[in-house]
Amino acid sequence: MINPEEMAKLADPDFLANYLAGLPQPGPGHGGHPAVSVREDSYKGHRIVIKTTYEMTVDGKPLPIHVSLSNDGSAHVHGLPNYQFLSVVDLVRALIEFFPNEFPAEGPPADEYGGHGEPGGHGTHNAGGS
Amino acid sequence: MAVVRRNVVTNLAARAAYIRGVKLLKQENTSATTTSFTFPIPGPVNPINTYDLFVIWHFMAMNSPVPPGTDPLFGRNAAHSGPVFLPWHRLMLSGLEVQLQRVLNDPNFGLPYWDWAVDASLVGGPQSSLIWQNQPDTMGGQGTPISTGPLVFNNTDPTSFRVLIESSSDGRSFHQTKRGLNRTFGQPPPLGSSTLPTATEVLAAFNTLPEPLGEPHLATYDFAPFDRSSNGFRNRLEGWPGGVLHNRVHQWVGGDMGPATSPNDPVFFLHHCNVDRIWERWMQLNGRNYLPDMTAPPTLLGHRIDDALISPFGLAGTPRSQLDTTTQYTYDVIP
Repeated sequence: MINPEEMAKLADPDFLANYLAGLPQPGPGHGGHPAVSVREDSYKGHRIVIKTTYEMTVDGKPLPIHVSLSNDGSAHVHGLPNYQFLSVVDLVRALIEFFPNEFPAEGPPADEYGGHGEPGGHGTHNAGGS
Repeated sequence: MAVVRRNVVTNLAARAAYIRGVKLLKQENTSATTTSFTFPIPGPVNPINTYDLFVIWHFMAMNSPVPPGTDPLFGRNAAHSGPVFLPWHRLMLSGLEVQLQRVLNDPNFGLPYWDWAVDASLVGGPQSSLIWQNQPDTMGGQGTPISTGPLVFNNTDPTSFRVLIESSSDGRSFHQTKRGLNRTFGQPPPLGSSTLPTATEVLAAFNTLPEPLGEPHLATYDFAPFDRSSNGFRNRLEGWPGGVLHNRVHQWVGGDMGPATSPNDPVFFLHHCNVDRIWERWMQLNGRNYLPDMTAPPTLLGHRIDDALISPFGLAGTPRSQLDTTTQYTYDVIP
């Protein structure tokens, strides 16, 4: 265990604050869009690699999230770290439910080509705040 | 002397002290502000309170690549979906515990745990549990935001509980807010879970009898590839695959317990204290074992037994350092 004298330092809020302040900024991840989920496996001496990309939009706007797939086919997203989804449609529905500020209501429903209240349906869903 | 961690439902004193301590930590500003970090939190410059340091810590651990240079958005990260899940959260809980001891001026305070497996079988449903009732010393109920209990947000009362930092949907950035706490109990899949894990499911995680009576792999802490697909106890307790145990509790509570900033809900710590209690029981049964050891390849750097956890302690804070904390705290009852 961590010795008691060291552990007691955690009672000082600034001890933790100074540490957190020095942590590197979260990286951009794979940055580009669409992201690639890579599944790998070995079976009877054969090496299996499956790369999957998703291009997702909601109301015609790109949804810049990274979907990770497990070998059982379930889908994960970093923004909901304790969830797994049977389908990516379910995953996006959950994001809309948990992050409503990033998916504001914008007039009439979008059609499959992204047309809705905003000309051209440009822009992305804001994953950086509201 | 080791403090004793007690059941939050059955121990009024622990419950009341926890609520009081959380509110004190929420009111206590640190020297840090929203611009103090290498990752400034967008919005006006505001102080960071002590409680919210733990929200940030959790978020940052989730976004710390292990090993460095990899992408934490896929697979395991420095807090989840890998072997460090249990020791990292154990260290985090200890951090909150010593903070609570300080603001409560009670060195004997032990972080209480929420035995959700008991609540799973309540006749009135889990939401009928005492901790969700509208009383001064409970967690309050559900709602968007919650409207009952001592954690209700009141915009005109600066001492009222409020969520100040929230994650974005991609889980790799966060921003400021000022709002009440959200909970959505028991939503069915895919938005949540309509049930809590049961006592039977908890006990099954300890059943290492030969097949078909049990699952012998549960006697081992973890297995390659040390991720969400692994056999072993860690993955079962974390809740992959199939959304059992730990994960299902997040899903049942819903709301702010969903995103990467889930410590925003004080029930997060009660929940993880129970997860820690279950891990402690497993170690009593199977030994204080951990995998992977230091012979594991560098691709597992950050998850090996003597690697540094994401904590202020550097190489003093490793998974090994968290395997025996019995001189620091014990549990009144082990499952």
